[in-house]
Amino acid sequence: MSATTCIRTPARPVPAASISQTRKARIFKARIFKARIFKAEWTKLRTLPSTWRTAALNLALGIGFSVAVSFSQISQWHTMTAQQRQVFDPTSASMSGVMIAAVVLGTLAVRTVTAEYSTGMIRSTFAAMPARRLVLAAKAATVAAFAFPVTLLGNLGGFELGQRIFAGRHAAVTIGHPGVLRAMVFGAVAVSLVAVIGVGVGGLIRHTAGAATTLALIIIGGLTVGQFLPAGWRQYLPGIATQAAVTVHRSAGLLHPGTAIMVLAVYAAITVGAASLRVAHRDA
Amino acid sequence: MIEAQHLTKRYGTTVAVDEASFAVRPGRVTGFLGPNGAGKSTTMRMILGLDTPSSGSVLVNGKPYRELTDPLRSVGALLDAKAIVGGRSAAGHLAWLADSNGIGRRRVTEVLGMVGLSDVAGKRIGTFSLGMNQRLGIAAALLGDPETLMFDEPINGLDPDGILWIRNLMKSLAAQGRTVFLSSHLMSEMAQTADHLLVIARGRIIADASTDEFVNRNSTASVRVRALQPADLAAALTRRGALVERCPDGAMIVTGLDSAAIGGAASADDITLLELAVHGASLEEAFFELTRDETDYQAGQLTGTSQGA
Repeated sequence: MSATTCIRTPARPVPAASISQTRKARIFKARIFKARIFKAEWTKLRTLPSTWRTAALNLALGIGFSVAVSFSQISQWHTMTAQQRQVFDPTSASMSGVMIAAVVLGTLAVRTVTAEYSTGMIRSTFAAMPARRLVLAAKAATVAAFAFPVTLLGNLGGFELGQRIFAGRHAAVTIGHPGVLRAMVFGAVAVSLVAVIGVGVGGLIRHTAGAATTLALIIIGGLTVGQFLPAGWRQYLPGIATQAAVTVHRSAGLLHPGTAIMVLAVYAAITVGAASLRVAHRDA
Repeated sequence: MIEAQHLTKRYGTTVAVDEASFAVRPGRVTGFLGPNGAGKSTTMRMILGLDTPSSGSVLVNGKPYRELTDPLRSVGALLDAKAIVGGRSAAGHLAWLADSNGIGRRRVTEVLGMVGLSDVAGKRIGTFSLGMNQRLGIAAALLGDPETLMFDEPINGLDPDGILWIRNLMKSLAAQGRTVFLSSHLMSEMAQTADHLLVIARGRIIADASTDEFVNRNSTASVRVRALQPADLAAALTRRGALVERCPDGAMIVTGLDSAAIGGAASADDITLLELAVHGASLEEAFFELTRDETDYQAGQLTGTSQGA
């Protein structure tokens, strides 16, 4: 065989229309591709019965905690000064369960990653979906999307019961009160962001026990270790920022709710970013 | 079709896979044979884009795995049947896999039927036996109706029924024109299932041949013979170039001459033969011969295979 037997096809310019056609087709294909990854991760979350048990547990514990805090606050009502009563925030007190949600749903988020690493199923995941960074993004998005309505429901439940408790002292507010709806929604957004942080922590640590403990310390640690930090720093801790998200009254040592959400979003972006770099580059 | 070119994986100073070059072709069952720790699983993980090669490359259907669109439609793989989150049902597990590659839910029902798990489709995977897990893993591999199928030690822990089922399944998949790549450390299993063998030891591909060819090439058939005049026979055979080994029971194991030549030599020298039996070489022996210098941990001499290569 010699090269002379080959007939060379002259290069033909590709018509402009077909270029844009192929580009469109490629963009369309890429969208389908991404949608499939998100759908698969949602199916994973949905088909695990423990997801729903965790949501139910979270609601019971969260609302229970909100009621307990509300009772404890109102029982101290007679010892409170007029000024203390003035700054009392019945909304945030009745949504204290948001901290429970942060820990419980944050741990659920951790498990969406670590359960796969500890069993080895992550290999099936990455064999089916080799775009690893997208997989991590899809996990973060689906678990955040799940955490949002669950937390919102918990906030609503806590609020309704808490206000009934406060009504006895004429300290209750209604849902139409300025700032109340924002607190409810921001609390749910905060927990969704904590869930994103959980996915990031899971991707970085990969062992369920280690990652879940780390997340719990990130959230609750602010209430213990954070005591030793100056208030100016303390308010930026993820747990304290989550508390700030459900406030209506401005109080010392807590960020403005909007700022708190932004701070949490920065943490979420950093942890998931770091995790996706790590997950993409190491052997599965 | 799987093609590896100088595929290498190093972990620190350890070389798990060493310059492996091979092609796994469609239409036949290719066995990936090697002792435990030889580099089979590492190679398979590199094929699937899970581990990144230190050097070299491996292509599946002409592309690196990570560049395949909807990879499950091209390659179905079962690496470890127990590597699965136990909380989901079998149908739930296959459902997310199907979603990830745009495969319809009808196919989930179909593959569950193919592997005989229809009745337990809604049961928690955590309650499954190892055999059921293997079947589920095979269902997952078949989900995308892929051209290439890969199974890592699929018969480990299976009962005889399950082994027979898998063996027939592999053969029928290959008969449909698919590429079937199957790893095992069990040589006898490979002899019954694989048409072609890829033998790996200490990370190096040391044989790439059809199963028959491999056995013929790598084993010396021997003949067990007993004679009334053993010393005379030994002398006559040695003179004709055979290698003779005396056994304690008076018999001799002869290599280098076939039974007809031994019979001829005996009659020419008026020696009475009491026994003449061809000792066929098995794949087991061939494999042992080939890898005995390669295996990391040599067990003591196995009886009956001490001929020397």
